[in-house]
Amino acid sequence: MSSSFFIKKKENPTFDKKGKNTQAPKRKVRDRVEPKRRQSNQETEYDETPQEKKLRLAKLYLDQLKEEEENKAEEDSFETDLIAGRLQEEVLEQKGKLQRLIAKDLMPPDASEIRVLRGHKLPVTCLVVTSDDKYIFSAAKDCSIIKWDVESGKKLHTIHGGRKGTEDRHVGHTAHILCMSVSSDGKYLATGDMNKLIMIWEAETCKHLYKFTGHKGPVSGLSFRKGTHDLYSASHDRSIKVWNVDENAYVETLFGHQDAITGLDSLSRERCVTAGGRDRSVRVWKIAEESQLVFHGHEGSIDCIQLINEEHMITGADDGSVSLWSVNKKKPLSTVKQAHGCHGDAGLEQPHWVASVAALQNSDTVASGASGCSHNSQVQLWKCGQNYRALEPLFNVTVPGFVNSMKFSSSGQFLVAGVGQEHRLGRWWRIKEAKNGIYIIPLKRKPPNPEEAKLSE
Amino acid sequence: MSTNIGSNTSLLFSQLIPTNAETMEDEKQRQQPTASRKKHTVESSSDEDSDVEENFILLTERRGRGGGAEEEGEQHHEGEEEEELSGGDDDDDEEESDSGEEEEVEEGSDAGEEESDGGEEEKDGDSEASVSDDDDDEDPEEAGGSSEIQTREDMKTELSNMSFEDILKLQNKVGTKVYNEVAYGGDKSQKSCKKKKRLNKNRPMEISAKRPALFLRQVVSVRKPMFRDPRFDDLSGEYKPEIFEKTFKFINDIKHREKEVVQKQLHKTKNNHKRTEKLQFLLKRMENQERARTSREQQRERELHFKRLQRERANQGARPFFLKNSEKKKLQLAEKYEELKKSGKLENFLSKKRKRNAGKDRRKLPKQAA
Repeated sequence: MSSSFFIKKKENPTFDKKGKNTQAPKRKVRDRVEPKRRQSNQETEYDETPQEKKLRLAKLYLDQLKEEEENKAEEDSFETDLIAGRLQEEVLEQKGKLQRLIAKDLMPPDASEIRVLRGHKLPVTCLVVTSDDKYIFSAAKDCSIIKWDVESGKKLHTIHGGRKGTEDRHVGHTAHILCMSVSSDGKYLATGDMNKLIMIWEAETCKHLYKFTGHKGPVSGLSFRKGTHDLYSASHDRSIKVWNVDENAYVETLFGHQDAITGLDSLSRERCVTAGGRDRSVRVWKIAEESQLVFHGHEGSIDCIQLINEEHMITGADDGSVSLWSVNKKKPLSTVKQAHGCHGDAGLEQPHWVASVAALQNSDTVASGASGCSHNSQVQLWKCGQNYRALEPLFNVTVPGFVNSMKFSSSGQFLVAGVGQEHRLGRWWRIKEAKNGIYIIPLKRKPPNPEEAKLSE
Repeated sequence: MSTNIGSNTSLLFSQLIPTNAETMEDEKQRQQPTASRKKHTVESSSDEDSDVEENFILLTERRGRGGGAEEEGEQHHEGEEEEELSGGDDDDDEEESDSGEEEEVEEGSDAGEEESDGGEEEKDGDSEASVSDDDDDEDPEEAGGSSEIQTREDMKTELSNMSFEDILKLQNKVGTKVYNEVAYGGDKSQKSCKKKKRLNKNRPMEISAKRPALFLRQVVSVRKPMFRDPRFDDLSGEYKPEIFEKTFKFINDIKHREKEVVQKQLHKTKNNHKRTEKLQFLLKRMENQERARTSREQQRERELHFKRLQRERANQGARPFFLKNSEKKKLQLAEKYEELKKSGKLENFLSKKRKRNAGKDRRKLPKQAA
């Protein structure tokens, strides 16, 4: 379901109203079909609850689907089946039940199959993969952004970084880029840096479009809502801001974290999830209802977070533990402590910090990358057990250096890891043997066994 | 396109820099001087903006009185917004003051219509404020609601008069969500009840997302270490000397070693009289303690022995007998004599004892008057 759901109407886009009644009880199942369209008529009254809004948008969406299918299909019965099929798929995806249980089929790749894209001179801090798996955008500590082509491994475009102090003249970043996000239709790229700025670029041409100011601290998390052009940003000033990139507008701010926010992620629902760093909390923000759900459970500072599906997420902390969470439970479902081993002198062993985590969407595969051991630094792949109740290690891939950022491709064919000689947030220590670059790790599947196929039949 | 605010609106915000901790009264007080100041400046788009902002703030104030913390949250939200801009607007302030002066000079020549309109609106705003004050004392919600509608209508007229550029700037500053509420109406009457019940205790807590974290907040909980005195703690139980001595038997060895150390030190120091005195005192003390301890142990052993004898007698069938205290002392004396005989100090001991007894007896004799 990675197709774009942008179905633009020909009328002018109008303001999208958000109702403010939050006396409503928990959402019912029938309202769960979350529409992707965000344009509404101007005549509708603006005093509506989020539930009513969802109902109205759902009806709009259904109408649109019908129109689409009318154009495509010829027979009536065919039409209804198509709509029903599509709706069903979406509902399953939303509920997290549309699963790709591929973890048991994954095989560790050979060292020769891992490609390294080298081009950044300084450590890579973050990267994103477009949803069609064609391009990778990566950013490094020299404040430059490079667009890579996945198949050929070539640099398509480079946006150079400027020196500190040239903010007025330079088109680009002049401070370390901490986070990036690309919209699901591949149109916009958003990047946030330590100078409290968010820059919007056009993904195709890498042209600078907008600059969003407003944060009071380094911007540490960015994510587009899937299927829309809503951008959520988190920063070290403990606030989350919602922006609308189409209209180049700031929408609102949400508060709640007690300490700097270290990571942010979102899927297609109108909510985002953040990792709270030293306040050891994970918060799910319901934007329409202006409320947050608070989860506690880590002992160390939570450094990275990714959503696996709409209901589950995975986090990594600086005490080396990786945790699997569900939205329905305030404590993690499963925790793996010291996931990457310890280092240091005997008796003074410190676990390796988990610098980044990645999750393959709607599947049971997750990956975690540790920070900085030169000899046994690894990217560890995990399998989520039944009902996400456990985390079992699958295999690991040796990648020397600090694994600062990781992303799965949307098809699950490969895993991209951005590696550097230093941690993305600072220079605690440096690993000279590591190479600053992007590792593309292919994920091979075991060929289906004919015996197993017979057994299943 | 950046979201910087033009110099027009910055004057207002540099004046109104409410912090999160500010109360509504402070804000009101600050508005009155700004309102009076504004009457002198010429009506331009800047003043229309500022009126809109004033009305906006009044509006949120009234909401604050009527409802709960959500409105405070909005105020804080606005406060945040204004704070954000005040930092960036400091450069604009100087320009502002110059332009303000120029505008004052031109005041007379400009059309008075706009001014009077502005003045009327400001007066309306103020009068509404005063009206709302009185009303709020009696009927907070109703009066708030009606004056709310009046100010929103005023704001809508203001917005309709503003240029598009200014509207965009306002929208960018305040946020599209808040702007939409104000411009198109919002359901302030349907505020949420904040306590959202969770279904069971394993579910996460749900709290409002509009309240910023306090400045004096606790990020990591620090536990104060509680100290226990085992002498006065009920957990330690009652004092039983046998059990105490058994568990802390190792201390006797340590004390013995320390006594040896003191003895050696005493041998070494020959010059310093004070030190030798102290050391002698300490050594004597330690020896006395040790002697007392050993005698206590012997006592206990004797009692245990006696109890064992009694138990044997009871087992064999004869009735157990109990010694009187005086008999116990006699037995003790007998034992002491045995020991002294062994060490050969019996004579010494006996003579001393006789002398003491003699002295005591002499005192007891009747006094003879000489």
